[in-house]
Amino acid sequence: MRRLSGSYRSALIIGIQGIRARKLRTLLSMVSLFLGVLAVVVVQAGASIAERALMSDLELRSGYDGTLMIDVMPHEKSPQIVTETLDGRTDALAVISLQAIIGEPGVSPINPGGSPFDQTGWGSTEVCDDAGNCVPGPPTGEAIEVALTAVTGDLLKFRPLRHVSGNWLDFSTVPSLSPRLVINKEAAKGFESHQVPAEMRVRGATANMTPQIVGVIDDGDVQPRAYVRQDELTNWVPAGKLSDPNMGMPIQVLTGQGGPVEQILTTKLRAAGIESYANLIESRKQMEDQLKLMRLVFLSMAGLVLLIGVAGILNVGLATVGERVEEFALRRAVGTPRMLLAGIVLAETLLTGLLTAGAAIGAGVAGLKVLSMLLGSSEPLLRDVQFPWEAGVAGIIAGIIAGVLGGFIPALRAAGIPIATVMRA
Amino acid sequence: MTGPLIQLTGVTKILKGQEEPRTILDGVDLTVDPGQSVAIVGRSGSGKSTLLSILGLFDRPDQGSYVLAGQDISRLPERKAAKLRSSHFGFVFQRFFLLKHLTAAQNVAMALVNGQGWLPRRQRRTRVLEALDQVGIAHLAKNRPARMSGGEQQRVAIARALVRDPRVLLADEPTGALDTETGTAVIDALLSATTRGCSLVLVTHDRDHAARMGRTMNLVDGVLTERVPA
Repeated sequence: MRRLSGSYRSALIIGIQGIRARKLRTLLSMVSLFLGVLAVVVVQAGASIAERALMSDLELRSGYDGTLMIDVMPHEKSPQIVTETLDGRTDALAVISLQAIIGEPGVSPINPGGSPFDQTGWGSTEVCDDAGNCVPGPPTGEAIEVALTAVTGDLLKFRPLRHVSGNWLDFSTVPSLSPRLVINKEAAKGFESHQVPAEMRVRGATANMTPQIVGVIDDGDVQPRAYVRQDELTNWVPAGKLSDPNMGMPIQVLTGQGGPVEQILTTKLRAAGIESYANLIESRKQMEDQLKLMRLVFLSMAGLVLLIGVAGILNVGLATVGERVEEFALRRAVGTPRMLLAGIVLAETLLTGLLTAGAAIGAGVAGLKVLSMLLGSSEPLLRDVQFPWEAGVAGIIAGIIAGVLGGFIPALRAAGIPIATVMRA
Repeated sequence: MTGPLIQLTGVTKILKGQEEPRTILDGVDLTVDPGQSVAIVGRSGSGKSTLLSILGLFDRPDQGSYVLAGQDISRLPERKAAKLRSSHFGFVFQRFFLLKHLTAAQNVAMALVNGQGWLPRRQRRTRVLEALDQVGIAHLAKNRPARMSGGEQQRVAIARALVRDPRVLLADEPTGALDTETGTAVIDALLSATTRGCSLVLVTHDRDHAARMGRTMNLVDGVLTERVPA
């Protein structure tokens, strides 16, 4: 490490001596600056925590940043092409969306259309054929409709689904004839309040299945949803029926950006005349655009409070230099250059700014801990929240800026003190 | 080095105020040899302190030349002047100008922690204690000025002036605030520096102290003349 030059070290030593000699003044400067730096720390900490929470929610719903999402349009050949392309690959998986009704056979579900249990009117109980002819459905019974997501691989590599209870889908075992389901929190809510038989109906299936629920996850979805291994589902639903060309949803393929899957898959799909669209998940960019303005407004407000603190340092600094005219003149007499005199004053205000930053960061850390303890149980955003390092850096930068701004004019004054002051005294 | 350490030739300083310009120093010639002690006496307002300011590079002459150890420093830029003040000069003032929040040792070390080179803490401490020892108050190193007498404080100021081994000591009424006995001891301390080759220029009103110097110069209305011993 390169050592500080003599001038810097001299400024630092004399600055520390100056602070120790005027503890009360330093404390008053710190008090005037404290709120400003604390405001910057709080705004930055709030923004970082909100950003993390928002990012976490966005990733939970749409996938990790940088994931390439290819939407393969419904077509009878789509499932086969996708499955063949992804067979044996660990760097990509397919997500196929279907609807399933779990419960009594021959009845309409209590939440038609897979609606959330506290909302109604999402779907109808009508039953429609492939041609779109609909007739009134059977009466409502003990059955729950869920969005069924069939996956060809470990979805956790691409989406940070949060574990709630039980297990996640195990892809290392032989596909079971009794499809294992991992349901989300909303679906769990339904199964908790409604006793339904373990029978699952899926459009296009050769027979009704007997599912087994192995775990619960939080996927951020308000709709009841169940995740299932695609190979366990295709024991009962022919591959060609997984993607309904008329009413089905696109098959989503998730892979890393720049991997070979995109090129191979799109080539095959193009050859089969199937449309596909690739989108890169850029949650952070999208979110930063949203947060930029908000952060700017809050930081401007914090900056104003900081400016008041700077005025405090400036005021105390000017008064201190006024009192130390003889000291500075004497220092010049013993050979201290003007620049170093300015450096001494700046070192003092900088140290004051940094000390204040330390205090403000400490207060921020303690405040966040207290908030987390008091409100963590009711507010997930504050549960086990860590103090963001960005807020610490912002506090230190605010302290340095305040020190430099507050010390600049007093430093100029100190450098301009005439040396002859010691002769006239 | 042979030849004079300080050579002022025709140094003139004019005070340009709101009223008529006033000549403070009028063609002053002064030569000081290494190790020589010179007293400058004169009435208040005769220009003694201005002369000392020019000698100590606090101020520049309007006319004339100032040669220090063979080098013309009449028009030295401030940065170089600061360096020269640190390396060649030691200053002692009537008021001691000790910083009350620092110990005696820290006050002396002030001349070493001035951005002109860097001494490690141990070497600094050794130099400071040597300087305090030279003036006989090494035992007071850890005392603050408030706990010292006027004479002791002035000795600390002398130690501060000596700590960089200056070639010239400039003292402006160093005994002005002291009683006769303490003043004599302070002059003793200053003169002892000349035995090590350091020149001394002393501005004083006290004829007894002036008489102890090798030479005495009289400054009257800006004109410097040598006072020949009777």
